[in-house]
Amino acid sequence: MFDFLDRFMPGILEWQLPRASEYALQIDVLFDIITILVGFWFVLVLGFFFYLIFRYRHRPGQKAQYITGETHKQKQAIEIPHLLILACDVMIIVPTFLVWYNVKIDIPPADEEVRIVSQQWAWTFHHAGPNGMLGDDDDIISVNELHLKKDRQYTYHLESRDVMHSFSVPVFRLKQDAIPGRVISGHFKPIMAGEWDIQCAEMCGIAHGIMAARVFIETEEEHNAWLAANTPAGAASEFIATNELKISEEKEDRNNG
Amino acid sequence: MKSSRSLAEFVSLKSPICVLSLIVAVLSGSVAQADTRGEQLYRNCTICHGPDAEGIPLQLAPALSGLSEKYIIEQLKKFKGGIRGKHHEDVAGLRMLPLAQTLASDEDIQAVASHIVAQASSQVETSLEGGDATKGQALYAVCQACHGPDGKGNDLLNAPSLVNQHDWYQLTQLKNFKSGVRGTNPQDITGAQMRPMSMILADEQAMKDVIAYIQTLSK
Repeated sequence: MFDFLDRFMPGILEWQLPRASEYALQIDVLFDIITILVGFWFVLVLGFFFYLIFRYRHRPGQKAQYITGETHKQKQAIEIPHLLILACDVMIIVPTFLVWYNVKIDIPPADEEVRIVSQQWAWTFHHAGPNGMLGDDDDIISVNELHLKKDRQYTYHLESRDVMHSFSVPVFRLKQDAIPGRVISGHFKPIMAGEWDIQCAEMCGIAHGIMAARVFIETEEEHNAWLAANTPAGAASEFIATNELKISEEKEDRNNG
Repeated sequence: MKSSRSLAEFVSLKSPICVLSLIVAVLSGSVAQADTRGEQLYRNCTICHGPDAEGIPLQLAPALSGLSEKYIIEQLKKFKGGIRGKHHEDVAGLRMLPLAQTLASDEDIQAVASHIVAQASSQVETSLEGGDATKGQALYAVCQACHGPDGKGNDLLNAPSLVNQHDWYQLTQLKNFKSGVRGTNPQDITGAQMRPMSMILADEQAMKDVIAYIQTLSK
């Protein structure tokens, strides 16, 4: 539905920032719908207002009238715009709920996981190491650098060490508060390779304005090269040894079988 | 003619206000003159390190007032270059990391360091319990080679002063050195000097003992 609607939308946000996550299009379409409807009423109401000011300007001998709005025709002047605005509200609320559900509620099965820890005034990212599991010795932990694979579905787990922060990635159209004592999970799927901004979007102290980080969206080959270069030495050799053992066991099984 | 008369009347009527304004302007000018670059830059630091650079435990910020200018400049450059404070477990260091970026040039770093060393250093409150200063004195024999018998440090050996420093900060830093949170960056030459020294302290009790002795050196 959003792909279809996008064909008729001006893409106001995309003029300023590319869409680097799968659900960025939905946010942009919703933004366009709201902007167009609200903009339409804004221009119409202001235009009508200025018309009335001009049409009924002061003239000699013309007294002002006090209209109480009791006749049917006078009531219609309120009722018709009111109903039209309600109809516009429905046109905004329906896609809003759909986008909210898709972005915040319905978390798709993850290909990859990443743990994000915020603190005054830095971001720490825990990436799964070569074994693909998060929370063990081969995790790659980086400060202010998030490395992601393009076209993979991610689930993130967001935490805060001290005060409230907000994990904002404008190219993903993602903004999620981090609350001390809670682990908040969400998702995104990077669809555009490149290097983009991450910024804290919740006032968190004196250096809030410079609590920035970068997200690197890489191809599979680039990401594997980064993994190889940054995997902790002990964990990498352990992983290789385990895999070699598994391969040799499999070969032995095959030979015996 | 009329306008010049009304101006003269205005000045005579408002002369006390004019004189007062002039005094205020002169005074504020002299204050602005005294307000050096280092003092201006240090305003960003006060929220954590305090107005007199005495450190604030709640903000995990150490006292700076007893440190030498050379040491402060070195550490600020390390924070700015991501050589110190970039380990994910260094909670206080990660706070300092972005704030060091606000010092745009070497001149700014020099200015703020000069302002800090001009602050008087005084004894800070102790918060650790269980340290034995007598045992600590024996352990300190190794430390004094660089930090000096009086604990005041030695710039030639890149050793900072330890006196008038918060004990909780010293314990945190000793633990950081020992666990590799600090002093493991290949560019942190002086940190790498301290790291093997921290290994001499076998456990937390030994750290508390030596810190208890260092606190007796503070005045």
